[in-house]
Amino acid sequence: MRAIVPIKQILDPTGFAVHRRLERIFINREDYIINPNDKNALEETLRLKDAHGVEVIALSLGEPRVDDALREALAMGADQAFLLTDEAFAEADAAAAALILAKAIEKIGDYDLILTGQRAMDTGASQIGPRLAEYLGLPQVLEVREVSGLSNGKLRAKRNWKGGYAEVEVGLPVLLSIAPQANEARYPHGARIMNAYREWEISTWGLADLGLAEEELSPLIGLRRKAFPPERTFGELITGAPGEAAKELAQLLREVGSWKLESGG
Amino acid sequence: MDLEYWELLTGEAIEEEEIVCRDIWVVAEVKDGALTPISLEMVGKARELAAALGAYVQSVLLGEGLESLAQELIHRGANGVYLADDPRLVEYHLETYAEILSGLFQAKKPEIILFGATELGQELAPRLAQRLGTGLISDCLDLSIDETERVLLATHPVYGGEYFHVSTFLGAKPQIATVRPGAFRLPFADEYGSGEMEKIAVNLEGIEGKVKVLSVSTGEAQPQVPLSKARVVVAGGRGLGDAEGFALVEELAEALGGQVAGSRGALDEGWIGQERQVGLSDVTVKPDLYIACGIWGDVHHYFAMQEAKFVVAINKNPEAPIFKVADIGIVSDPKEIIPLLLSELRAG
Repeated sequence: MRAIVPIKQILDPTGFAVHRRLERIFINREDYIINPNDKNALEETLRLKDAHGVEVIALSLGEPRVDDALREALAMGADQAFLLTDEAFAEADAAAAALILAKAIEKIGDYDLILTGQRAMDTGASQIGPRLAEYLGLPQVLEVREVSGLSNGKLRAKRNWKGGYAEVEVGLPVLLSIAPQANEARYPHGARIMNAYREWEISTWGLADLGLAEEELSPLIGLRRKAFPPERTFGELITGAPGEAAKELAQLLREVGSWKLESGG
Repeated sequence: MDLEYWELLTGEAIEEEEIVCRDIWVVAEVKDGALTPISLEMVGKARELAAALGAYVQSVLLGEGLESLAQELIHRGANGVYLADDPRLVEYHLETYAEILSGLFQAKKPEIILFGATELGQELAPRLAQRLGTGLISDCLDLSIDETERVLLATHPVYGGEYFHVSTFLGAKPQIATVRPGAFRLPFADEYGSGEMEKIAVNLEGIEGKVKVLSVSTGEAQPQVPLSKARVVVAGGRGLGDAEGFALVEELAEALGGQVAGSRGALDEGWIGQERQVGLSDVTVKPDLYIACGIWGDVHHYFAMQEAKFVVAINKNPEAPIFKVADIGIVSDPKEIIPLLLSELRAG
């Protein structure tokens, strides 16, 4: 069985600070990480590899530096990686990115599962998975918190649903989006990280390799401007020793409302 | 606007291509036999946008026995409601819902389509955007019309709400957006509001759900008073360190006769279920007193609790944005403060 995991590399949010009043973003350190939720998707796929021997293929679209994200995926345990990079891909919005990824997935072919993260941390969007499923004509199960079974061409999963969860069954091939609480992604072994750089080959595909024309990638959505949350006014800060602070807070709570207190308790 | 009237008014004949794509559509959601608040919030916002565009607000409902819900949509501001009334649509399946909606959108050619940024909206909106070959802006906190270009402007959070992007559509129609629950106010109901209801033919030949639901679990016990109506909410986040720390939040909530809630962090740690998560969920709280313990306070959290009347924040980190929305802040370890506070409250 073969599973394909598209991952996205994003700017590490701990490396920049947003100044609301100046309406500016200060980049202190330009580092890139794998979108944390995509790592959950990768982890869930690697668990399927451990349990069912599923072949894991990582895929990423972006600038050549995305190579690092794919090496990390290989170090974590992916079997193969493909880098989709081309100057024509630079302006890709969600629809164009989905098209590029879908063409690559078709080219890889013979897949049973596609696993994506539920949400991209940078854009906050959760479009790529369902767009891929639509393009490829696949059923989808979103917000999966656990893949609970995989046998006889069928998959069982628990997905977040209406405040609880639903257990569902679906035939393969299928696209899953993995919820952040599904798992804790593994850390790659040091030796595997070195091997990922020394020994693994990453195939690179561009516009022509995927049989795409530049016109097909014209963006449908454009950025007008950035906006910043309003600077909020500080309330009162209670300072001083914890004992004093708790006393003051208890007093204030009694003043703002008569909270029903459990007697004695 | 009536196009013949427009022609009369301006003396311009409207080209065939131009007369498509006018109305604003709201895909309404039904939960436990009632419209979800986000459905009505979207109708309210759609009315504002429609005024700028000179368009009508249309809504669509899927399920069975929907007339009274359609009437409510009309009272809240919809000019028309399309009903896909069929027993096969009572249970949600992507394949059937997408078939009905895409057929309707292709026939009626809306200019704008709004979905809730809910489980259902996240299932349907991107698939329909892909099917209709158009763009989608997810999780919008604000919507407006650029009247000079007649396009939708949508404000949506990036990097978890550190800042926002104001994005727009570059020509493709319909313009589809998903809207964050709680981002817009509920519109007032106007009992005299009138509009048209139209049942649409439901043809699902050869279309069936591919994902079989084996069982549904409400999982964690539901709060007795819905969290959205609780007078006092005590919420905990990652800053509590461990489950033992979170137990203090439960104790404080009990002492104040309030409800326990948690941030995204508390959910990820497994201390609460999704139904008690404030921020990035359908839950919006409006208590008289909101106590945030060890919660960082990102913008998702803020949007879900901004209507709280009095906010207390307890957090070790003085940089935590939660202090900017708090009426009272204590920069200290909540694990140290809560037991002290409990004994003060009980003593007093």
